[in-house]
Amino acid sequence: MTIRMQKEVKEMEDWSVGVMVKKQNTEHQTLNIKNMNHAFTLPNSGHNFDAKASKMGMWLFLYTELLLFGGLFLVYMVYRSMYPDEFLLASFNLDVWMGTLNTVILLTSSMTIAMSITALQKGNKKLSIQLMWITIAAALGFLIIKYFEWGAKFEHGLFPGMDHFGTLPTGERLYFYLYFFMTGLHGLHVIIGAIFIVFVIFGVKKGTVTPERYSLLENSGLYWHLVDLIWIYLFPLFYLIH
Amino acid sequence: MTSETLAHTSFFKAKSGIMSWLFTLDHKRIGIMYLYGIVAFFLVGATLGLLMRYELLNPGKDFIEPHTYNQIFTLHGVIMIFLFIIPSIPAVFGNFFLPLLLGTDDVAFPKLNLISFWLYVLGAFFALATLVFGDGPADTGWTFYAPYSVKTGTNVSMSVLAAFILGFSSILTGLNFIVTIHRLRTPGMGFNQMPLFVWSLYATSWIQLLATPVIGITLLMIIAERAFGIGLFDPSIGGDPILYQHMFWIYSHPAVYIMALPAMGIVSEILPTFSQRTIFGYKAIAYSSMAIAFIGYFVWGHHMFTSGMSGPAAYIFSILTFLVAIPTSIKVFNWVSTLYKGSIVIEVPLLFMLAFIFNFLIGGLTGLALGALAADVHLHDTYFVVGHFHYVMFGGTGFAFFGALHYWFPKIWGRMYNKTRAYIAFTILFIGFNMLYFPMLILGIQGMPRRYYDYLPEFTSLNQISTVGSWITVTGLVMMIVNLMVSANNGKRASNNPWNGITLEWQTKSPPPLHNFDEMPKIPERGPYDYPDAKRG
Amino acid sequence: MENKNEHITSYKEHFSTYAALILLTFMTVFISVFGADLRTLSVATAMLIATTKATAVAYYFMHMKYEPKIYKVMLATVIILFAFFMMMITIDYLTR
Repeated sequence: MTIRMQKEVKEMEDWSVGVMVKKQNTEHQTLNIKNMNHAFTLPNSGHNFDAKASKMGMWLFLYTELLLFGGLFLVYMVYRSMYPDEFLLASFNLDVWMGTLNTVILLTSSMTIAMSITALQKGNKKLSIQLMWITIAAALGFLIIKYFEWGAKFEHGLFPGMDHFGTLPTGERLYFYLYFFMTGLHGLHVIIGAIFIVFVIFGVKKGTVTPERYSLLENSGLYWHLVDLIWIYLFPLFYLIH
Repeated sequence: MTSETLAHTSFFKAKSGIMSWLFTLDHKRIGIMYLYGIVAFFLVGATLGLLMRYELLNPGKDFIEPHTYNQIFTLHGVIMIFLFIIPSIPAVFGNFFLPLLLGTDDVAFPKLNLISFWLYVLGAFFALATLVFGDGPADTGWTFYAPYSVKTGTNVSMSVLAAFILGFSSILTGLNFIVTIHRLRTPGMGFNQMPLFVWSLYATSWIQLLATPVIGITLLMIIAERAFGIGLFDPSIGGDPILYQHMFWIYSHPAVYIMALPAMGIVSEILPTFSQRTIFGYKAIAYSSMAIAFIGYFVWGHHMFTSGMSGPAAYIFSILTFLVAIPTSIKVFNWVSTLYKGSIVIEVPLLFMLAFIFNFLIGGLTGLALGALAADVHLHDTYFVVGHFHYVMFGGTGFAFFGALHYWFPKIWGRMYNKTRAYIAFTILFIGFNMLYFPMLILGIQGMPRRYYDYLPEFTSLNQISTVGSWITVTGLVMMIVNLMVSANNGKRASNNPWNGITLEWQTKSPPPLHNFDEMPKIPERGPYDYPDAKRG
Repeated sequence: MENKNEHITSYKEHFSTYAALILLTFMTVFISVFGADLRTLSVATAMLIATTKATAVAYYFMHMKYEPKIYKVMLATVIILFAFFMMMITIDYLTR
């Protein structure tokens, strides 16, 4: 193998993001570097970019997230049916209007990320990026409100281990276990989703996410909608028990 | 080197250096790395098993404290289930052969594949690290039942974290395979022209994808309870330990189908080749895989009959458990019919498949006995259960794994294993295996409980037979592994298709080149096992 | 295979979906805050509205309406599975 071939083959197997970009760009020529070393390429090669595969992969991952949170909803269902009155009492510690505001914020952000896909499909990169930034701003807003909500609970000693918590009846304690676990896990997903979108913004700016090739943006949107979906169920179950 | 010569370079030689392996995107190299890991952890798990059997040679303490014994059987379970059986066939043979069987050159997401492997390594690290830190490995049993798992001082959190990470690896592999099967089949290969091993991987991947998150969240809840006092399963504050069992088994029952389905897929691959005729009832076998995967989600309660679950729920689970046996038996009938009037060649891969059918029959039928509510009341948590699941997991999946190793050995390494030694090793292993586990079925019926390091004197002779069986089993295993390892380096060079197989992997070189195929693979006309003078049907 | 000739959802369609979602949100809040004492019905109503919202998000924002049938089959399977888990666990707790 010549030195040049060795280098190119090595680059194909290289892990870094920089080479991923290079690979994406050279693939436009329907010739990937491996092919330069042998005469034959399979039409159904696993190394070609496939938007449909990409989308299917994302949806499959979303199903795992649905079942992950689904498990928690099952636990919620059992304990609420066992302690309906205490769940109601405990829910009075939450501010319905803060929750409603957060719901509106997330719904808005779902719209903006969906619109950013439309924008990119129509070739309007600038608008697409702006809409993505709005989505991220909404995510931040959500997290800030969450921060204040949790803070208020800590102030009232409502976290496991704190004084007031130990005095609560069983059902109320179970409510708060689920509240912190589920909104905490959800908040983590908000952060991950926002970071994902930041990466997409860089992709659009760099030219690796284009009107012809926007799977990354679409997938980040799908993930974001999932985050919204989970909140759509969390909100009534914790804030609107009455 | 000209481009011509490079086309004949095997994937082993295409690039050199350890970095080219650790950071490879080639599905075949990833499959080989999984193989080394899996065999290594299998031997660790087997050693723990040997230790247990040695302790059980006589009643009373032989050489282990009771607490240590609990840790040993826990770690044995965690390693064997999460580090060996669940990944085994999909991660090794799925990774290596799925693209070849489909006539493509890699999986849909090669980088994700590498991530899956590294998660496996990370999970293995944490599982074994429990030996080193704090109060040692968990002593809860691999099932980590609450509330004990929440209260014990041993390294439950680390074990559970290991299982969580390994679960993630499993999910990503399943995801990769589903998309690969949907998007990368060679032109002309519809779903009903795919080899049956591919069908079994498809069904398995759906289970990996959808069931694993449930145990993921359950284990996270255990960690949360231990770390933050978020007491969701703690009865002293109103939590329900049975809820833990529900959540745990919602995954862990489908998990056994993750273990069984690929193994059955292997049987469906090997039998046609060594009967030199087409499989009997292709569609029945393909769809029964999907049926097992589907129904398998609905039977988890049969692990909980004596837990305090309600009667009506128990009845429903028992009926559904009997239902899932139907698609399984359909497969067995079809396999036997495939052999009938075939041109049988008694090679070691076929022997492993025949042993599979024998072992899985015993394992499956004892499973039905356990599925019957009235019988289960007496048999739950006895050695009958231990015998049952070892028959299906080890005698079933384990033997299928070894059979596949022999079957595809010439394709992977381009050499043939020493056949005489392979026959001998198989025979020793088969005899040892049955000697090790059959007595357990009797012991269970007689009432010997499981997970006890001691037993009543009347159980002694059967325990001793079982322990001697464990020594014979290990002898067979070591012989087999050494034979394969030596033959991989020094065996006689094998042709591209020593068994006269028809599926696509036999059309390329042994070992395959990096990009799998040097020319367009040809699909057989009448189906994936279209042997030239085969009678239809 | 690149993203070409795929259906483009208009800004107007997205906004209409959003408007419906906001409407449903305020509906569910008002029923809860100002509504009569619904007791057990309150969970059912809230879940019904939440599911309507979720369907709108999946169908329109997530483009499910325009995806090939296989996606709908897969999603339906996941939902059926989860429904079964809920059903069996409910049966257990209800009949203990």
